[in-house]
Amino acid sequence: MQPVFGFALFAVFVALIVVLARNKKRFPANPISSFFFGFIIVLLAIGAANYFMVAISANRLYFWQQTIYGVSLGSVYALIALGYTMVYGIVRLINFAHGEIYMIGAYAGFFGVTSLGFPFYFALIFAMLTAALAGVIVERIAYKPLRKAPRLAVLITAIGMSLLLQNVGQKIFGSIPRSFPRQFTGLYRIGEINLDQSRVIVFAVTFLLMVALQYFVTFTKPGKAMRAVSQDRDAAQMVGVNVDRTISLTFFVGSLLAGAAGILVAIVFPQIRPTMGLMPGLKAFVAAVIGGIGIIPGAVLGGLIIGVSENLVTAYISSSWRDAIAFGLLILILLVKPSGILGRNTREKV
Amino acid sequence: MNKHPNKIYASPILIFLGFAALIYINLQVSLDRVNFYVIGVLSVVAINIILTVSLNLINGITGQLSIGHAGFMAIGAYTTALFSIHLGTPIYFNLLVSGIAAGFVGFLIGLPTLRLRGDYLAIATLGFGEIIRVILQNLRFTGGAAGLGGIDWVDNFYLTQFMAIVVVIVVWRIGASAPGRAMVAIREDETAAETVGINTTKFKVMAFALGSFGAGIAGSLFAHRMTYIAPDGFTFMKSIEVLVMLVLGGLGSITGAIFSATLLTVLPEFLRFIDEWRMIIYPALLVTVMIFRSQGLFGTMELDFARVKSILKKVAPENLGPEKGKSNPPMQKIKALGFDSQEQKPILETKDLSISFGGLKAVKNLDMQITQGSLHGLIGPNGAGKTTVFNMLTGVHLPSSGEILFNGQRIDGNSPYSVAQAGIARTFQNIRLFKDLTVLDNVKVAFHLHADYGLGTAVARPPKFGAAERRITSEAKELLEIFKLGDHCMTIARNLPYGAQRRLEIVRALAVSPKLLLLDEPAAGMNVLETEKLMELIHWVRDEFDLTIFLIEHDMSLVMKLCQTISVLDYGMKIFEGTPEQVRKDPRVIEAYLGEEVS
Repeated sequence: MQPVFGFALFAVFVALIVVLARNKKRFPANPISSFFFGFIIVLLAIGAANYFMVAISANRLYFWQQTIYGVSLGSVYALIALGYTMVYGIVRLINFAHGEIYMIGAYAGFFGVTSLGFPFYFALIFAMLTAALAGVIVERIAYKPLRKAPRLAVLITAIGMSLLLQNVGQKIFGSIPRSFPRQFTGLYRIGEINLDQSRVIVFAVTFLLMVALQYFVTFTKPGKAMRAVSQDRDAAQMVGVNVDRTISLTFFVGSLLAGAAGILVAIVFPQIRPTMGLMPGLKAFVAAVIGGIGIIPGAVLGGLIIGVSENLVTAYISSSWRDAIAFGLLILILLVKPSGILGRNTREKV
Repeated sequence: MNKHPNKIYASPILIFLGFAALIYINLQVSLDRVNFYVIGVLSVVAINIILTVSLNLINGITGQLSIGHAGFMAIGAYTTALFSIHLGTPIYFNLLVSGIAAGFVGFLIGLPTLRLRGDYLAIATLGFGEIIRVILQNLRFTGGAAGLGGIDWVDNFYLTQFMAIVVVIVVWRIGASAPGRAMVAIREDETAAETVGINTTKFKVMAFALGSFGAGIAGSLFAHRMTYIAPDGFTFMKSIEVLVMLVLGGLGSITGAIFSATLLTVLPEFLRFIDEWRMIIYPALLVTVMIFRSQGLFGTMELDFARVKSILKKVAPENLGPEKGKSNPPMQKIKALGFDSQEQKPILETKDLSISFGGLKAVKNLDMQITQGSLHGLIGPNGAGKTTVFNMLTGVHLPSSGEILFNGQRIDGNSPYSVAQAGIARTFQNIRLFKDLTVLDNVKVAFHLHADYGLGTAVARPPKFGAAERRITSEAKELLEIFKLGDHCMTIARNLPYGAQRRLEIVRALAVSPKLLLLDEPAAGMNVLETEKLMELIHWVRDEFDLTIFLIEHDMSLVMKLCQTISVLDYGMKIFEGTPEQVRKDPRVIEAYLGEEVS
């Protein structure tokens, strides 16, 4: 009945063993924690074996269907995660308000489509720009004055900004969910698998944006400046990079993507509300950490992992456990490889 | 008595007034003059104080950013609910069980996660907080999303208040004890804390479990007051609420935590008329405070009761200090700890020691012996791997292969704190003091190993505690006196002049009572005169404290004059070892420093 979850568990189990085997550092550090980890590993092994057996007799079609849905959900997480990862890379800040930027994107898209009567792709651009503007404003008001402050202070400010935007959103948009008008109702069939048109569009748009981002960061001058600042702010400044502007630009680009994520989610899950940013925001951040924070492909990888596992948990176990899987994965990854899947272990210079 | 820079010497009148107000409120309540609603608010104030102060132990004092406190509160609340509903146990029992349950989960979670630092830890605690909630939401016996109702209602106003006071006193006392100083040291600089012998994992887990214990108690009181609990009450937002209270008051300040927990609980009650704006004002306030006063209202300031105490005891505060002339001079004590020097016996030995970072072999097959009681120098061009050798010796880096023997015992693979406890202390190339602590506290932290009492004593404070603390303080002061830092006891370390900071770091290392002292470029950034003085000092320290000293230095004149033996490192390999005279003449050394000779 729960074939794939079993497979996922099994994969995690194998990964855990591999990482543990490769890790030559003093880990586990003491008998108690080795017992603790040993216990987890045995538990995982039993669970995985059990699920894996069941998997053989399961419905394959349903599995693939759910996986594909998971990929499309995951690509949205990836979009949000990109913003987190870029901002973290450049100012070492977990921008908690990023989830609210995504919410603003969804609302901008909503009003674009309804009140302003934009066609969808126009509304998409409108949502992206509005969100980007909001992101830059937040950066200017709340984070810029704290550039020299302790990081904790900035983190708390970010949490405050997140709450503020959420509650201002409730005030302006009302706390009752709005219904995003259906945009795409088509259905594609590949073999025996049904694909909603909306999910295909989500994936396609996300993919395009990621390619564009990769191009931007790798080949354009502002993109290179961004990478330079994230490596060493002072050095970048010395070779003539305008650091403040680059940071603002990072917020702009990150928020642009979050805005797109907002409207894209709305065409699949049409209920939008001012608090919609909280959970996806947290999970996207988790995705960024899982993939390796500050690393762009890592965010995409993390987003996909979370999207797929979440969808499979919903499909095979229960939607009420959905929120636990992202955090469970996070903790597992953090314990085994704190720098994330694609992250490199950095040593503190002593 | 010098004034401590982080203490608020409040006027006794104000403090007495505060107590009077507290008594007045209780009197009013006991006379039934206060309506039920107000009592409710006051109880919530006390519960929030418990939450905030216990979180302060984790976030403020130990500096481990936890943002999942609501999860532990939930564990406490549910434990109480289950016991109360199914077994009808009394509140005192539930309180204890809930605290233990939350503390135990805190311990289990803390053990693996506290290896993470900073943001990562924050995210992991957030994750755990959320997972605890999701689990509660899904288990049948916890009532799922609907929660549990029918918990015994107990009029626990007095009890809640009492518990708040107990929690405050406990955390306060921990803060002002050797374990507390160890926790603060972890907050200030984890690596440096480890090198003075603090088992950072132990103290972090301790703080985490104790903080969770407090949250469990708060949850229990909360459950008995509300009689109905649901997972919705323990979301991420609740954790944030507690964090906001803590940060607004000032991370690390118990005074601030009490103040802001009270303020932020009572204030919204007065803001009822603008209720709909409350949730906007709240975060806006938070952001504003952070932008304009990012250390919070109180920073790390604490009220100091010395003046009140002095009035109560009719003793001048000056006389509360250590009794003069009774304590042993630290030198003798430290000497006593060292063992008899046997000439020519190596105190430290490395065998085939190598380490590589990625593909780079930073140190290759190093064989070295340091004779007991000697002054041994390690020189080499930049990037030769000198500091890496130190890092391996002190357990900061784990060697890829080879052995390190200290007094004939293998110490490679040991954690930095156990290396320090074994008797190796060090200083750092780029000074790593506990910058925001006073000079005296920097040294007292390092005396941690001499504090022969534990957490229980720190909280209960039997006479033994006072004696131990007085001894630590006076020994630290004497040691500082010797190094001419006596006048700076109450200076914040970061405000010391550069040379004094270097001296303080040596004092801190000596406070660990090492047998081997590693000095990493002690003369860096000093002028000729200062270097001269430093040289005398190092010599004197070696003789006076009966130490072996191993030092890295770039200043050739210093090394040549000071050291009996010098090892030369180049590209991670020992290319020469000998007396200063031999080193000066050796062609390989000259080549390493000046490039190949032009012939």
